[in-house]
Amino acid sequence: MVRELLKELVETHGLTGYESETAKIVEKYFRPYSDEIKLDKMGSLSAIKKGKSQNPNRIMLAAHMDEIGLMVKKIDEKGFIQFTNVGGVDQRTLLTQEVIIHGKEDLFGVIGSKPPHILEASERKKSVKMEDMLIDVGLSKEEAEKYISLGDPITIRRKMLNLQDDMVAGKALDDRAGVAVMYECLRELSNMNHDCDVYAVATVQEEVGYRGAIPAAFNISPDIGIAIDVGFASTPELSKDDTADLGKGPAIGFGANIHPKVYDRLIKIAKEYNIPWQQDICPGATGTDAWGMQVTRCGVATGLLSIPLRYMHTSVETVDINDIKNAGKLLAYFIVSLNGEDLEGMLCY
Amino acid sequence: MSKINNDLLKKLLETFGPSGNEETIREIIREEIKDYADEIKVDALGNLIAIKKGQGKKIMVAGHMDEIGIMVSNIDENGFLRFTNIGGVSPFTALYQRVMFVDGTLGVVGMEKLDEMKDLALSKMFIDIGVYSKEEAMKKVNVGDVACFYTPFVQNGDYIMSKALDDRIGCYVAIEALKALKDCANEVYFVFTVQEEVGLRGARTAAYGVDPDMGIAIDVTTTGDTPKCKTMDVKMGNGAAIKVKDSSILTHPEVKKLMVEVAKENNIPYQLEILEAGGTDSGAIHITRSGVPSGVISIPCRYVHSPSEMVSVKDVESAIELLCKILQK
Repeated sequence: MVRELLKELVETHGLTGYESETAKIVEKYFRPYSDEIKLDKMGSLSAIKKGKSQNPNRIMLAAHMDEIGLMVKKIDEKGFIQFTNVGGVDQRTLLTQEVIIHGKEDLFGVIGSKPPHILEASERKKSVKMEDMLIDVGLSKEEAEKYISLGDPITIRRKMLNLQDDMVAGKALDDRAGVAVMYECLRELSNMNHDCDVYAVATVQEEVGYRGAIPAAFNISPDIGIAIDVGFASTPELSKDDTADLGKGPAIGFGANIHPKVYDRLIKIAKEYNIPWQQDICPGATGTDAWGMQVTRCGVATGLLSIPLRYMHTSVETVDINDIKNAGKLLAYFIVSLNGEDLEGMLCY
Repeated sequence: MSKINNDLLKKLLETFGPSGNEETIREIIREEIKDYADEIKVDALGNLIAIKKGQGKKIMVAGHMDEIGIMVSNIDENGFLRFTNIGGVSPFTALYQRVMFVDGTLGVVGMEKLDEMKDLALSKMFIDIGVYSKEEAMKKVNVGDVACFYTPFVQNGDYIMSKALDDRIGCYVAIEALKALKDCANEVYFVFTVQEEVGLRGARTAAYGVDPDMGIAIDVTTTGDTPKCKTMDVKMGNGAAIKVKDSSILTHPEVKKLMVEVAKENNIPYQLEILEAGGTDSGAIHITRSGVPSGVISIPCRYVHSPSEMVSVKDVESAIELLCKILQK
């Protein structure tokens, strides 16, 4: 189930600021497991699952459904498209990609590259700058302008790839893997009793500075907010200290952005239910939805779960599906563990 | 025949008002608009808020009245002033420029001897106010005092050249729209914001206080029409720019659509703007409270953050017309 959801999610196009198609997929999968679905003014989607308590506390889960990508900046005299980035796009990953320009209708295009035969020696050693790249849609300027305007969103065209075991690769797993975690959590909760109202929020615009999570958290005003995002997974060239291992469970964040009691409880639950977990040390800004949520209104007790992911911000991001399932289970048991709990007491320093 | 109000523009542009020091410019704007607004107030940060009552949607229009500037950090024995920047001041544009303090004291920006010009930094520069000692300097200026560029307003044919077009030209557009709005279907809050140049700080609290249904910032944007400049499809003189993206906001698609439709319906010259670096008040407004659908009308401007910024009168007029028509919609 979660594999199908992931496939559908990452093969849908939802550039930061243009997430409505992705929201439709999220709604389709979340609806059976929630009491109410709401879209806020920014476009973030909340799936609300009511708790049993008379005066329920509110738990907000946040995973962002936007993806990094490109935007049309200019159409040149020959019909080639110049573009800029939306979010942290690595220009080294762009040459020879297939893209879709979301204009009046979706148009395929390719980002071309100079033939190696005629590269100058100095050019071979340098990465090409984004401002020097062009998208070719195969149209003249006049024809292109019928379909394409300045500011049209552009995404990478990429199918999800099933690797061996339970690993999958694709674009936008940052952070649709997190959206899949919320799905797993809601599914688990459908067979459990919980006191708190749960708001599973697929947020918009995280990649440009968690601009969706800030108003969403204001709107919901949660007692506890937990962001689910992706974290660097180990590969041979990366330091062990900054990474988590793929397949060894979600990484539980610890640091200034994290309420220590939320951290403690997540670890306690992981141990109690034999859910694999890893530690993720984040001393300062996490740059995730948790960072935006924490300083909402009078302050929100925040937690952060990271799904280990290789090759972040490329179109071959790779995750292990077991980490997603385990994170979903951990969140569900965490929420149930709050039954009968005086949250004010629990979160007291 | 241009309808531009040169007297007002000159006053707005030549007035002193670096971020955090908007008292003088605020009073000038307050005086100018007092007969046109139903209510005027100033909030805790110093934002000037003029309300035009109406039954419809609550719309916040924001133009920032602060400008970039410098702040004195130290005065040496010979009366030279060391300084730091307020907002985005480049050492290369500040060198040998004249600067003005709030009381009218003038100075010129000089530099230490440098082997290579690329090593120029504000820390190697100073302001000379033409005195011979620290004591003499202290009679006019103290540590913590701020100054802005000192360049006269020029209008010649279609172009205007001045300091602080960023964003007094936005204030001008808002003032002219306020004056032109007779019976408005919507309730409009014209906010002349403070501290935009140091991080959209005035707009943030103003938007929280106003709690609008929609936000529109009026500010300048850069252009791609000068020799060998960075690629950008905005040209001075081609009309008001409707922002799609900058570093602070991705314009709400419905707001962008509304702006484009209004421009087309009324034959107002417009162009779409994708700005790769820089932000404006809408960046703060749109993530206020539960979120506010927001957009930006930009005035294409060459040489932004220099003492001689340049805009086209035609673009200013397009921006005023576009804003008025949107507010009446």
